[in-house]
Amino acid sequence: MRETPSLIVRYVARRAVPFIQLYALYVLGHGEDGPGGGFQGGVIFASSFVLLALAYGWGQGRKHVPEKLFDLLAPAGCLLYAGIGFVALLVGGAFLQYEAFVGEGADHATKHHAHHFGLIGIELGVMLTVTASMVILFFEMSRPDEEGAFGDGASQEDVEALHDGSAATEEAPDA
Amino acid sequence: MHDVHVVITVLVLVGVLTTLPRVLKGPTLMDRILAVNVIGTKTIVLLALVGFLQVELGIARGAPANDYARAGFWLDVALAYSLINFIATIAVLKYLERRARSPDVSNSEELA
Repeated sequence: MRETPSLIVRYVARRAVPFIQLYALYVLGHGEDGPGGGFQGGVIFASSFVLLALAYGWGQGRKHVPEKLFDLLAPAGCLLYAGIGFVALLVGGAFLQYEAFVGEGADHATKHHAHHFGLIGIELGVMLTVTASMVILFFEMSRPDEEGAFGDGASQEDVEALHDGSAATEEAPDA
Repeated sequence: MHDVHVVITVLVLVGVLTTLPRVLKGPTLMDRILAVNVIGTKTIVLLALVGFLQVELGIARGAPANDYARAGFWLDVALAYSLINFIATIAVLKYLERRARSPDVSNSEELA
Protein backbone atom coordinates (compact mmCIF):
# COMPACT_ATOMS: atom_id res chain seq x y z
CA MET A 1 0.00 0.00 0.00
CA ARG A 2 1.73 3.13 -1.12
CA GLU A 3 0.93 6.79 -0.55
CA THR A 4 -2.17 7.90 -2.39
CA PRO A 5 -1.40 10.24 -5.27
CA SER A 6 -4.34 12.46 -4.43
CA LEU A 7 -3.29 15.60 -2.56
CA ILE A 8 -6.89 16.20 -1.48
CA VAL A 9 -7.24 12.81 0.19
CA ARG A 10 -3.92 13.21 1.98
CA TYR A 11 -4.78 16.74 3.15
CA VAL A 12 -8.27 15.78 4.35
CA ALA A 13 -6.91 12.71 6.13
CA ARG A 14 -4.25 14.74 7.90
CA ARG A 15 -6.79 17.36 8.99
CA ALA A 16 -9.47 14.84 9.97
CA VAL A 17 -7.38 12.52 12.14
CA PRO A 18 -7.26 14.74 15.28
CA PHE A 19 -11.00 15.35 15.08
CA ILE A 20 -11.73 11.66 14.67
CA GLN A 21 -9.64 10.89 17.75
CA LEU A 22 -11.33 13.67 19.73
CA TYR A 23 -14.70 12.32 18.66
CA ALA A 24 -13.66 8.83 19.76
CA LEU A 25 -12.91 10.20 23.24
CA TYR A 26 -16.29 11.97 23.22
CA VAL A 27 -18.02 8.70 22.36
CA LEU A 28 -16.06 7.00 25.15
CA GLY A 29 -17.13 9.63 27.68
CA HIS A 30 -20.81 9.41 26.75
CA GLY A 31 -21.04 5.66 27.04
CA GLU A 32 -23.29 5.79 30.09
CA ASP A 33 -26.03 8.14 28.89
CA GLY A 34 -26.01 7.90 25.14
CA PRO A 35 -24.95 5.81 22.18
CA GLY A 36 -21.31 4.92 22.56
CA GLY A 37 -18.91 3.47 25.08
CA GLY A 38 -15.58 1.78 25.08
CA PHE A 39 -16.06 -0.49 22.10
CA GLN A 40 -17.48 2.14 19.76
CA GLY A 41 -14.96 4.73 20.87
CA GLY A 42 -12.15 2.25 20.35
CA VAL A 43 -13.29 1.40 16.85
CA ILE A 44 -13.54 5.09 15.92
CA PHE A 45 -10.10 5.73 17.40
CA ALA A 46 -8.64 2.82 15.43
CA SER A 47 -10.31 4.06 12.24
CA SER A 48 -8.20 7.22 12.47
CA PHE A 49 -5.05 5.09 12.17
CA VAL A 50 -6.63 3.16 9.31
CA LEU A 51 -7.32 6.46 7.54
CA LEU A 52 -3.70 7.53 8.04
CA ALA A 53 -2.43 4.26 6.57
CA LEU A 54 -4.81 4.52 3.63
CA ALA A 55 -3.75 8.07 2.79
CA TYR A 56 -0.03 7.90 3.51
CA GLY A 57 0.77 4.28 2.79
CA TRP A 58 1.33 1.26 5.00
CA GLY A 59 4.88 2.11 6.03
CA GLN A 60 4.11 5.73 6.88
CA GLY A 61 0.98 4.74 8.80
CA ARG A 62 3.02 2.13 10.69
CA LYS A 63 5.30 4.85 12.01
CA HIS A 64 2.40 6.28 14.03
CA VAL A 65 1.58 2.86 15.44
CA PRO A 66 4.51 1.41 17.38
CA GLU A 67 3.99 -2.33 17.13
CA LYS A 68 5.37 -3.16 20.57
CA LEU A 69 3.28 -0.46 22.25
CA PHE A 70 0.03 -1.65 20.68
CA ASP A 71 0.88 -5.28 21.43
CA LEU A 72 1.15 -4.14 25.05
CA LEU A 73 -1.96 -1.97 25.01
CA ALA A 74 -4.29 -4.79 24.00
CA PRO A 75 -3.70 -6.90 27.13
CA ALA A 76 -3.26 -3.75 29.26
CA GLY A 77 -6.90 -2.86 28.57
CA CYS A 78 -8.05 -6.29 29.71
CA LEU A 79 -5.86 -5.92 32.77
CA LEU A 80 -7.41 -2.52 33.58
CA TYR A 81 -10.91 -3.96 33.28
CA ALA A 82 -10.23 -7.05 35.37
CA GLY A 83 -8.03 -5.07 37.73
CA ILE A 84 -10.81 -2.64 38.64
CA GLY A 85 -13.09 -5.65 39.15
CA PHE A 86 -10.65 -7.41 41.45
CA VAL A 87 -9.78 -4.23 43.40
CA ALA A 88 -13.49 -3.95 44.18
CA LEU A 89 -13.32 -7.56 45.32
CA LEU A 90 -10.27 -6.81 47.51
CA VAL A 91 -11.87 -3.87 49.34
CA GLY A 92 -14.83 -6.02 50.30
CA GLY A 93 -17.36 -5.64 47.52
CA ALA A 94 -18.45 -7.90 44.72
CA PHE A 95 -16.57 -8.17 41.43
CA LEU A 96 -16.93 -4.80 39.62
CA GLN A 97 -19.04 -3.34 42.44
CA TYR A 98 -17.75 0.24 42.17
CA GLU A 99 -19.62 1.47 45.26
CA ALA A 100 -17.29 -0.69 47.35
CA PHE A 101 -14.41 1.74 46.66
CA VAL A 102 -15.86 4.35 49.03
CA GLY A 103 -17.08 2.00 51.72
CA GLU A 104 -20.46 1.35 53.25
CA GLY A 105 -20.79 4.58 55.20
CA ALA A 106 -20.42 6.97 52.24
CA ASP A 107 -23.37 9.15 51.28
CA HIS A 108 -25.35 8.68 48.11
CA ALA A 109 -23.51 11.31 46.03
CA THR A 110 -20.10 9.82 46.79
CA LYS A 111 -21.29 6.34 45.81
CA HIS A 112 -22.70 7.82 42.63
CA HIS A 113 -19.30 9.35 41.82
CA ALA A 114 -17.52 6.09 42.59
CA HIS A 115 -19.89 4.33 40.22
CA HIS A 116 -19.16 6.83 37.45
CA PHE A 117 -15.40 6.68 37.85
CA GLY A 118 -15.42 2.89 37.97
CA LEU A 119 -17.52 2.75 34.84
CA ILE A 120 -15.25 5.20 32.99
CA GLY A 121 -12.28 3.10 34.11
CA ILE A 122 -13.56 -0.13 32.64
CA GLU A 123 -14.74 1.67 29.49
CA LEU A 124 -11.20 3.00 29.11
CA GLY A 125 -9.92 -0.56 29.42
CA VAL A 126 -12.32 -1.75 26.74
CA MET A 127 -11.30 1.15 24.51
CA LEU A 128 -7.58 0.41 24.85
CA THR A 129 -8.08 -3.25 23.98
CA VAL A 130 -10.41 -2.58 21.06
CA THR A 131 -8.23 0.18 19.60
CA ALA A 132 -5.07 -1.91 19.83
CA SER A 133 -6.74 -5.05 18.47
CA MET A 134 -8.31 -3.24 15.52
CA VAL A 135 -5.07 -1.50 14.64
CA ILE A 136 -3.05 -4.72 14.93
CA LEU A 137 -5.59 -6.61 12.81
CA PHE A 138 -5.63 -3.94 10.11
CA PHE A 139 -1.88 -3.61 9.84
CA GLU A 140 -1.31 -7.35 9.87
CA MET A 141 -3.97 -8.05 7.26
CA SER A 142 -2.78 -5.27 4.94
CA ARG A 143 0.92 -6.06 5.39
CA PRO A 144 2.34 -5.67 1.89
CA ASP A 145 4.89 -8.52 2.07
CA GLU A 146 4.64 -12.30 2.30
CA GLU A 147 3.60 -13.57 5.71
CA GLY A 148 6.12 -12.31 8.21
CA ALA A 149 8.92 -12.06 5.68
CA PHE A 150 10.41 -9.07 7.46
CA GLY A 151 9.06 -9.68 10.91
CA ASP A 152 8.98 -6.77 13.29
CA GLY A 153 11.92 -4.84 11.97
CA ALA A 154 10.68 -4.01 8.46
CA SER A 155 11.81 -0.53 7.53
CA GLN A 156 9.61 1.61 5.39
CA GLU A 157 12.04 1.37 2.48
CA ASP A 158 12.01 -2.42 2.66
CA VAL A 159 8.25 -2.56 2.64
CA GLU A 160 7.86 0.01 -0.13
CA ALA A 161 10.54 -1.58 -2.29
CA LEU A 162 9.00 -5.00 -1.97
CA HIS A 163 5.58 -3.63 -2.68
CA ASP A 164 6.68 -1.75 -5.79
CA GLY A 165 8.45 -4.80 -7.14
CA SER A 166 6.01 -7.61 -6.58
CA ALA A 167 2.57 -6.16 -6.04
CA ALA A 168 1.68 -6.41 -9.70
CA THR A 169 2.50 -10.10 -10.06
CA GLU A 170 1.08 -10.81 -6.62
CA GLU A 171 -2.36 -9.58 -7.63
CA ALA A 172 -2.48 -10.79 -11.17
CA PRO A 173 -4.48 -13.99 -10.46
CA ASP A 174 -7.55 -12.32 -9.02
CA ALA A 175 -7.62 -9.47 -11.49
CA MET B 1 -43.92 21.70 12.49
CA HIS B 2 -43.31 17.98 12.35
CA ASP B 3 -45.38 17.74 9.14
CA VAL B 4 -42.55 19.55 7.37
CA HIS B 5 -40.09 17.09 8.86
CA VAL B 6 -42.13 14.12 7.72
CA VAL B 7 -42.31 15.47 4.16
CA ILE B 8 -38.57 16.14 4.02
CA THR B 9 -37.78 12.70 5.44
CA VAL B 10 -39.97 10.98 2.86
CA LEU B 11 -38.35 13.05 0.09
CA VAL B 12 -34.86 12.02 1.17
CA LEU B 13 -36.06 8.42 1.35
CA VAL B 14 -37.32 8.69 -2.22
CA GLY B 15 -33.91 10.07 -3.14
CA VAL B 16 -32.29 6.96 -1.67
CA LEU B 17 -34.66 4.69 -3.57
CA THR B 18 -33.93 6.42 -6.89
CA THR B 19 -30.20 5.90 -6.32
CA LEU B 20 -30.64 2.20 -5.61
CA PRO B 21 -30.93 1.06 -9.27
CA ARG B 22 -27.58 2.72 -9.96
CA VAL B 23 -26.03 0.54 -7.26
CA LEU B 24 -27.66 -2.63 -8.56
CA LYS B 25 -26.93 -2.27 -12.28
CA GLY B 26 -24.60 0.70 -12.66
CA PRO B 27 -22.72 0.06 -15.91
CA THR B 28 -19.31 0.79 -14.40
CA LEU B 29 -17.84 0.11 -10.98
CA MET B 30 -17.40 3.82 -10.38
CA ASP B 31 -21.14 4.34 -10.80
CA ARG B 32 -21.81 1.83 -8.08
CA ILE B 33 -19.27 3.36 -5.71
CA LEU B 34 -20.62 6.84 -6.28
CA ALA B 35 -24.18 5.63 -5.75
CA VAL B 36 -23.25 3.85 -2.52
CA ASN B 37 -21.54 7.03 -1.38
CA VAL B 38 -24.65 9.09 -2.21
CA ILE B 39 -26.82 6.65 -0.25
CA GLY B 40 -24.43 6.92 2.68
CA THR B 41 -24.64 10.70 2.62
CA LYS B 42 -28.42 10.57 2.43
CA THR B 43 -28.47 8.15 5.34
CA ILE B 44 -26.63 10.71 7.43
CA VAL B 45 -29.26 13.32 6.57
CA LEU B 46 -31.98 10.79 7.32
CA LEU B 47 -30.49 10.04 10.75
CA ALA B 48 -30.48 13.73 11.63
CA LEU B 49 -34.03 14.18 10.31
CA VAL B 50 -35.37 11.17 12.20
CA GLY B 51 -33.73 12.48 15.37
CA PHE B 52 -35.52 15.82 15.10
CA LEU B 53 -38.71 14.06 14.04
CA GLN B 54 -38.65 12.04 17.24
CA VAL B 55 -38.17 15.23 19.27
CA GLU B 56 -41.01 16.98 17.44
CA LEU B 57 -43.33 14.05 18.02
CA GLY B 58 -42.34 14.01 21.69
CA ILE B 59 -43.16 17.72 22.01
CA ALA B 60 -46.48 17.18 20.24
CA ARG B 61 -47.29 14.53 22.85
CA GLY B 62 -46.52 16.80 25.76
CA ALA B 63 -42.74 16.66 26.29
CA PRO B 64 -41.11 19.99 27.30
CA ALA B 65 -40.59 22.32 24.35
CA ASN B 66 -36.81 22.55 24.86
CA ASP B 67 -36.32 18.79 24.48
CA TYR B 68 -34.03 19.14 21.45
CA ALA B 69 -31.03 17.73 23.32
CA ARG B 70 -32.43 14.27 22.69
CA ALA B 71 -31.72 14.67 18.98
CA GLY B 72 -28.05 14.79 19.96
CA PHE B 73 -27.99 10.98 20.23
CA TRP B 74 -29.01 10.70 16.60
CA LEU B 75 -26.51 13.37 15.57
CA ASP B 76 -23.75 11.40 17.31
CA VAL B 77 -24.67 8.33 15.29
CA ALA B 78 -24.83 10.42 12.11
CA LEU B 79 -21.37 11.83 12.78
CA ALA B 80 -19.88 8.36 13.33
CA TYR B 81 -21.64 7.13 10.20
CA SER B 82 -20.17 9.94 8.11
CA LEU B 83 -16.67 9.07 9.34
CA ILE B 84 -17.08 5.38 8.49
CA ASN B 85 -18.60 6.30 5.13
CA PHE B 86 -15.63 8.49 4.25
CA ILE B 87 -13.03 5.92 5.27
CA ALA B 88 -14.86 3.07 3.54
CA THR B 89 -15.03 4.97 0.26
CA ILE B 90 -11.32 5.76 0.38
CA ALA B 91 -10.53 2.13 1.19
CA VAL B 92 -12.57 0.78 -1.75
CA LEU B 93 -11.07 3.32 -4.13
CA LYS B 94 -7.59 2.45 -2.88
CA TYR B 95 -8.25 -1.23 -3.61
CA LEU B 96 -9.49 -0.42 -7.12
CA GLU B 97 -6.50 1.82 -7.75
CA ARG B 98 -4.12 -1.01 -6.87
CA ARG B 99 -6.03 -3.42 -9.07
CA ALA B 100 -5.98 -0.96 -11.98
CA ARG B 101 -2.19 -0.66 -11.71
CA SER B 102 -1.45 -4.33 -12.23
CA PRO B 103 -0.26 -4.90 -15.81
CA ASP B 104 -2.68 -7.52 -17.16
CA VAL B 105 -6.02 -6.44 -15.85
CA SER B 106 -8.51 -7.83 -18.31
CA ASN B 107 -11.40 -5.72 -17.08
CA SER B 108 -9.59 -2.39 -17.03
CA GLU B 109 -12.28 -0.80 -19.19
CA GLU B 110 -14.68 -1.47 -16.35
CA LEU B 111 -12.58 0.69 -14.08
CA ALA B 112 -12.42 3.63 -16.45
